[in-house]
Amino acid sequence: MELFTALAIGLIFAIGVFQMLRRNVIRSVIGLIIMANAVNLFLLIAGAYNGLEPAYVGVSGQRSDALPQALVLTAIVISMGGTAFVLSMLYIISSRYKTSDMDQVDGLKN
Amino acid sequence: MFSLQFLLALNEMGDLLTVSNQFVILPVLVPLVGAMVALLLRRRRSLQAGWTLATMLVALAISVMVLLEVSRNGRPLVFDSGGWPAPFGITIVGDMLSATFVVMVQLVMVAGILYAIGSKDTAVGYPTFFPLFLLLATGLTGAIFTGDLFNMFVFAELLVISGTVLTAISDDRFGTEAAYKYFYISLLASFFMLLSIGCLYASYGTLNMADLADRIAVRDLQPLLLPAIGFLMATFMIKSAVFPMHFWQPDFHAASPTAVSAMLSSVVVKLGVYGFLRMTTLLFIEQAPIIRLILLILGITGIIFGGLSAIGTNNVKRMLAYSTVAQVGFILVGIGWGTTLSITAAIVFSVNHSLIKAALLMLAGYIASRAPVKSAAFGVVTGIGRFLPLSGLLFFFGILALAGIPPTNGFISKLLLFGSGIEGAEFVSLLIIGLASILTLIYTIRAFQRIWWQKPAEDVQIKASGDHLLAPSLLVGLILLLGLWSDPLIKTAEQTSLWLADPMAYIQAVLGG
Repeated sequence: MELFTALAIGLIFAIGVFQMLRRNVIRSVIGLIIMANAVNLFLLIAGAYNGLEPAYVGVSGQRSDALPQALVLTAIVISMGGTAFVLSMLYIISSRYKTSDMDQVDGLKN
Repeated sequence: MFSLQFLLALNEMGDLLTVSNQFVILPVLVPLVGAMVALLLRRRRSLQAGWTLATMLVALAISVMVLLEVSRNGRPLVFDSGGWPAPFGITIVGDMLSATFVVMVQLVMVAGILYAIGSKDTAVGYPTFFPLFLLLATGLTGAIFTGDLFNMFVFAELLVISGTVLTAISDDRFGTEAAYKYFYISLLASFFMLLSIGCLYASYGTLNMADLADRIAVRDLQPLLLPAIGFLMATFMIKSAVFPMHFWQPDFHAASPTAVSAMLSSVVVKLGVYGFLRMTTLLFIEQAPIIRLILLILGITGIIFGGLSAIGTNNVKRMLAYSTVAQVGFILVGIGWGTTLSITAAIVFSVNHSLIKAALLMLAGYIASRAPVKSAAFGVVTGIGRFLPLSGLLFFFGILALAGIPPTNGFISKLLLFGSGIEGAEFVSLLIIGLASILTLIYTIRAFQRIWWQKPAEDVQIKASGDHLLAPSLLVGLILLLGLWSDPLIKTAEQTSLWLADPMAYIQAVLGG
C-alpha cells in the first residue's frame, strides 16, 4: 500500500511537470494545478497516512498523525486561491493576445 | 505637589508600556487589523491614506520598541499564540535578527506609503491599494517574526498574493503579464517549501524551528534531510531572486507601480536573505559549510551577472532591478564567508541596501512621472533631469551609496564586507567582488549622465506636476545619516551576529519559555 501510494504520487508529479513544460499557456497552468495536488498528497503522507485508519481513534494498528492533515487543509485552501487567481490573470492575458502560445505572449521583451 | 503626581502618573504609564512577550505579535497584528479597517474606509480616499500611514507608523514604533527591549534584555521575546507551549503551538519569536529585519522592513514600508500618498498613478487611487499594501507589510513581518516553518509558508503566501495583485493593477500595460510570471514562479517556490516541510516533518516530527534545530543536531542523518535542505534553498533563492532564479525579477520589479516596486526590490527580496541566515545559523548547522559554499559561488556569479545585465538595459527601473540581483549577491557573499564579522557585514549591507534601493527606485519613478510619456526607458527620460535639479542631487547621493563611496551608508557596508573578507583571508573571492563592484559605478554613472547631463530633445515638454519627492528625500537623508553616524546600526548588527553564533540560546528561549 505504501509503495503504491508513493508510486501514484510520483506519477502525478511527473504528469504535472510534463504538462508544465508545454508551450501552451493553459496546459502549463493545468500542469501547475496537478503539481499542487501532488505536493498536497505528499504532505498528507508525511504524517504516516494509513488509509482507512483515522487519527487517534481506537487503539489498534498504526495511526495517522493529525497535524499534516491540518497542514494539508491550509495548503489546499491556499493552492485553491492561487489557482483561481492565476486563471483569472491568464484570462486577461489570453484575451489581450488572442493566443495560447507562450512564445507569442512577448510584450515584456521590449 | 502637581509635579509629584505627574511623575507618579508617568511612572504608571511606564509600567503599562513595559514591553512584555505579547508585544512581539503586535507588529504583525497592527497592519493586519489596519488593512481590514482600511478596506472599510474605501470610499474616503484621503482618510484611508492617512489611516494606512498612521497604522504603519504605529507598527514601526512597536517594532522599534521590541528591538530595543530585545537588545537591552539580552534574550528573545517569545510569544506562544493561543497559550500552547512551544513545540505544539505557533510561536512568534523576536530575537535580534528578526527584530532588526522587521524594523528595516517597516521603516521602508512607511516611506513607501508616503510615496504612494504623493503619487499620481491611477493604481494608487484604487480602493484596495492601501489595504493590499498593509497586507504586504503583514506578510513580510509575519514571515520574519514567526518561529514555525509552516506559518512562514502561510505568511509568505500572503506576501506573494498581495505583491502580485499590487503589480497586476499597475499603470504599466504589461503589469498583468509580469504579475502572472511572478505568481507562477512563486507558486513553484511554495511547492518547494511544502515539499521541504513534508520532508522535515516526516524525518523529525516537528515544524517549530527551534525544536527542529534541536532534533536535527541530536539525531542521525535522516535520508530526507538533504532533499529538505535543497528544497528550502530553492525556495529562498526564488524569493530573493538569487542568480539562476532571478529571471522573473527585472520584469516584475520594472512593471509594478513605483511605490510597490520600491518595496519589492528593497525589502521583499530580503526575506530570502533572512531565510538563508536562519538556515546556516540555526536549522542546519552541521550542513552549513556546504550551504555557505553554494551561497558564496551563487553570490559571486550574481554580482557579475547582475552588474553586466544592468549595464545592458535601456530602462532605469530595469537597471535598478538588475542591480538588486548584484547587491543581493554581495549579501550572500557575506553569509557565505560565515564568520561573525562577515555576518555583521551582511546584516548592515541588507539594511543599507534596502534604504538605497527604495530611494533610487522612487527617484526613477519620479522622473518617469514627470516625463512626457510615463515611462522610465532611457529613450524617454534622456535629458529630463535638466529641468529637475533637486531629484538629480538626491539621485547623485543614491548612486554614491550604491557604489559604496563616502559619505554614504553604502560605503560603510562595503567597508565592513571587505574588512571581514580580509580578516577571513578570502582573497580570491575578495578580488573578484572588488573588480565586479566597479560595474556598479559604471551603470549608475551612465544612468545619471543620461538623465541629468545630456541635452534633452529640442521640443521636449515635461509635465507640470508629478509624484512627490518627500519620501525619497527622507530616505536619502537616512542614507547620509547612517553614513556619517553608523555606530548604532553596526552595534546592532554586531550584537545580532553574536546571537547568531549561539543558537542554543535561541532554542532554549523558545522551548524553555
